[in-house]
Amino acid sequence: MIEERDELVDRAARALSAMSPVKAGAVARVLMAVRASKVRPQPAWKRSVRWLEDASVSARAAGMLVAASLVVGFVLRGTVDVAGYSTQALSETPVALQTISDAGAESRGVPVAMVFELANAKSVAVVGDFNGWDPAATPMQRVGEDGPWSATLLAKPGRHTYAFLVDGSTLVADPLAAKATSPDFGGDASVMMVRTP
Amino acid sequence: MTLATRTNGFARSMIRRAALAVAAIATLSAASVQLGAQEARLLAIQDDATRSMVRDFIEAARARGTPTEPLVSRALEGVAFRATAKRIEQAMVALEERIGRSRELLAPRATVDELAAAADALANGVPASAIRDLRKIAPYRQITVEIGVLTELVAKGVAPKKAAVMVRDLMARGATGTQLTELNAAVQQDVAFGVTPVAALELRGRGVMSLLSPSASVNAAIRP
Repeated sequence: MIEERDELVDRAARALSAMSPVKAGAVARVLMAVRASKVRPQPAWKRSVRWLEDASVSARAAGMLVAASLVVGFVLRGTVDVAGYSTQALSETPVALQTISDAGAESRGVPVAMVFELANAKSVAVVGDFNGWDPAATPMQRVGEDGPWSATLLAKPGRHTYAFLVDGSTLVADPLAAKATSPDFGGDASVMMVRTP
Repeated sequence: MTLATRTNGFARSMIRRAALAVAAIATLSAASVQLGAQEARLLAIQDDATRSMVRDFIEAARARGTPTEPLVSRALEGVAFRATAKRIEQAMVALEERIGRSRELLAPRATVDELAAAADALANGVPASAIRDLRKIAPYRQITVEIGVLTELVAKGVAPKKAAVMVRDLMARGATGTQLTELNAAVQQDVAFGVTPVAALELRGRGVMSLLSPSASVNAAIRP
């Protein structure tokens, strides 16, 4: 058997033999100290903060989370009346909410041009169930100095009642459209049918 | 560890944190957008007492699981018509009842637009059974336009049962929403020229029917 002596091994052996021997019980003390310093479980919020600090989520998972959030946000924005359903009520309602896949063209607004002639009006707005009867939603613009008032709005396919709000206070039915009477308030309005695009 | 490796790690960490932040913001934003928009619209109600009444009613309706958008719209409609607070409240109560009834009629699924259209139909005298029949014919697509056409026919004087049967039969034979909308326009035009609403619907309805393939059975389409 050929015995090859390595200079590095020899130096290590000399260094180790020069060290003072471990005192009795030292190992046991070290182990006890380790046990005593065992990490206690942290509250959930601290773990969450730490998780965020470590950023231990993978880039792919984060990307998927963003995509899912955007999809959820889009669905909630367009199809579901978020404000209208409490969590509890959703589980009790007999009618399920329609998903975005089958909402289809009927959930998209169709551009509708509105024209109204009233020379002495200072301001005109269109109000109707397509804009929630919001007087600020669809202001009309005068065409020229004393031309007709016009606006283009988006309305979903279906039946809509509406009127023109003149000078912020007077409701006037559209003289060019079919008449409608509000079942609840009895006032005169107009009606239009928006067809599916 | 080289400088390049450390820089890459830092960049990845920042991207992940940014992605988490965007995800959280997107989710919260989507949920809060409509609430904020509704609240802003209520500010259009000038009278403090009326606005307070409407806000309380909306909150209570939300807790009951009623879609609130049609209720806000009805309240603002009342304001536009200069209705009293009491009248507006009565209108919201009546609308919530009709939405609840519409949910039953349109079961098992409905959009908020369909619920609002059906509630409008009931208010205009469309029979509840007619709405249920339309849903049975088209259980998997929106029928907002079909309900709207039926509502308008009834509102313009066609006998509710006649209108319901015609729209139901046309739907069962595959009439599109556009065809029904055109039918309604033609009927309105005929009525304007002096034809009775029922005669106009009968005439125009047959015209549309002739363009459609004959259905094996209308009753089969609405059988539960």
